[in-house]
Amino acid sequence: MAAPFTLRKIGVQPNSANLTEARRRVFDFFRAACRSIPTIMDIYNLQDVVAPSQLRFAISAQIRNNAHVTDPKVIDLLLFKGMEELTDIVDHAKQRHHIIGQYVVGEGLVQNTGSKDQGKSDFLKNFYTSNYF
Amino acid sequence: MASLSATSLSFKAPSTQSTRISQVLRKASTFQSISFGRFQSSKSLRLQISCAAKPETVQKVSDIVKEQLALSADTALTAESKFSALGADSLDTVEIVMALEEKFNISVEEADAQNITTIQEAADLIEDLVQKKPAA
Repeated sequence: MAAPFTLRKIGVQPNSANLTEARRRVFDFFRAACRSIPTIMDIYNLQDVVAPSQLRFAISAQIRNNAHVTDPKVIDLLLFKGMEELTDIVDHAKQRHHIIGQYVVGEGLVQNTGSKDQGKSDFLKNFYTSNYF
Repeated sequence: MASLSATSLSFKAPSTQSTRISQVLRKASTFQSISFGRFQSSKSLRLQISCAAKPETVQKVSDIVKEQLALSADTALTAESKFSALGADSLDTVEIVMALEEKFNISVEEADAQNITTIQEAADLIEDLVQKKPAA
């Protein structure tokens, strides 16, 4: 690395004026997160568990999940929460099983769709997810 | 110039118009050849700059792009193929740039990253940064 990347603690920024600026902030956040990946892998000893490219994919999947949002204020809030999460992870405020559970296995990359849901009806599947279907 | 006028004077008696036409044609042909030559040299200059990236760098970039966009191993990737043509949206492009940053151990500025649209540009930028890095 030219210089090790450190996450600067910027306070709450003013709302982004339009979608273009919100987009730019999304990419800045994504870059900051990707550049923090070596630190994260070092802190939580994830070297044997996951590759940096997989973590990058997990981060981009989370961002893509909300790709349909068009309101800049909503995007700002999502970025704020994302930044909060990233800061918590880099500050070692979380533990290894949190990272593995949230970003690697389970609802993360490797889908742990066990056998308990197979063969059940769609009604039950919808019932488990929400009240309204 | 004196010689030209001398020739024009000497050929004045026969058809002057034809000589003038031939002179104009000659001038036009030379003008064409000059412009063609210039076009050639500028094209070759451009080729020189774009060929600055080593083929193995381009190959590594292509591998990363294929892995990122989940393309099959036998899709032909030329140096000029654009990321958007391969099915990458803007987030994919940023992710590719980050993957290249990790692979080549460089740091790409945001301004540089905006201009990357093809594999060749990415390879050139990487070569640039790799060369600048040991000097720093």
